[in-house]
Parts: sequence; structure tokens; C-alpha cells
Amino acid sequence: MLNQEELKNLKADKVIDARGTACPGPLLAAKRALAEVSVGGIMEIMSSDEGTTKDIPKWANKMGHEFLGIVEEAGYWRIFMKKMK
Amino acid sequence: MAKKMCMAIFTGSVDKLTAAGVVLSGAAAQDMEVNIYVLLMGAYAFKKENVDTNKHLAELNDKKDEFFASLERLKVPKWIEFFRQAKELTNVKIHICGLAGKIWGGEKLEDFVDIADDIVGIGEYISAAEEADVNLFI
Repeated sequence: MLNQEELKNLKADKVIDARGTACPGPLLAAKRALAEVSVGGIMEIMSSDEGTTKDIPKWANKMGHEFLGIVEEAGYWRIFMKKMK
Repeated sequence: MAKKMCMAIFTGSVDKLTAAGVVLSGAAAQDMEVNIYVLLMGAYAFKKENVDTNKHLAELNDKKDEFFASLERLKVPKWIEFFRQAKELTNVKIHICGLAGKIWGGEKLEDFVDIADDIVGIGEYISAAEEADVNLFI
């Protein structure tokens, strides 16, 4: 996990804007986009669906990737993860 | 080795089919291998000509307009699109129960939506249910 300062300065290799979609939209968008990220790459998912802030960290860890943390913005969240395999 | 899910879809109602689609999406995101068995009323919903016109709900029928309006507002895909997307993401097979198909006049695979894989007997469902890590009956 990274702290808020580190997360805010993190440059993601892939940014997914899933704002405006409800569950499971952001999760499916993340799943699809992860295929385009190289191992070791960082992906950022922007979501306005609060459930996603619980869902994606659990999913990322279960699938063997690293959940890095969440930055809360006005009306949405930026969720960061690292592809590990 | 991928975990396996076995889902029996008895319902032909859009509310329950949408819920099934959401659950299926979660399984697809986790790379689960999913076998779906479409039983009785489900086969009605999976028939080609009914996919777009079926508006039946299993519950809260007096809230039908609100339900469909909310799905649209929240950009929730039609139930069949969840199934289509899941098939693109992971190993999902959709099996139509032979008896169920016949009840609704579906004798051949072509009578059902293009994402249906085959028409099977109930023995296959029992075998898949025995082997699955997660079993759902909707």
C-alpha cells in the first residue's frame, strides 16, 4: 500500500474512466483493461460507484495482483493497482 | 486450476436474469469456469425472438417502470449483454435443457440466442453441479 502523497504522484500506465457506470461495470472495465497492462505496470480505475472501492481491492489481491490504494476525489474514487503476473 | 461455477437458470424474468448476469460478471472477473444450465422458464427468455421483447419481472411488478428506468439511468446493460461479456472474458458455456426448449417451441440450437452453446439433458447439469465449487439456482 502507498500513502496518499505517493498515490497522488503515481503515474499510471493505464487509466480507466469507469465513472457513471454501476457495479459490475468498473470491475469488468478493470478486468478487460488489465490485459493491456504489462507485468509490473500500474493501472488506475476511476469510479463513481462506492462499492467498487471494496470490490476492486479484493479482486486485485485475489487474482494475485497488488492493490496500491485509493484517492478520494469530488464524487469519485481513483483506485490504483499493480499487475503482478 | 480455475474454480468452477455451475448456475442453473430456471427464471425467465428480467429482474432475476439481470441479477444472474451481475453474479456471472463477478465470476468472469475472477476467471472462473462457468457452466450455465437454462431450465424451464429460462428457455423462454433465451429464445431468439424473446430476448428483446421480454419484460416480465418475478417481483415488484407494480414497480416495473421504475425498475427499467433505473437500469437505463445507471447504464446497466441488458441482461443478455452480461452473459455475452462474460463469455468474452472467461470460459462460459450456456446449455439449454432439451425439455425446456421444446416447451417453448425451440427444437434446435438456432432457435436460441447465438451465445447458447448446445442443447443437453439433465444428467449433464447434475454432473457439472457435482464438480463445481460454487452452485447457484436462480
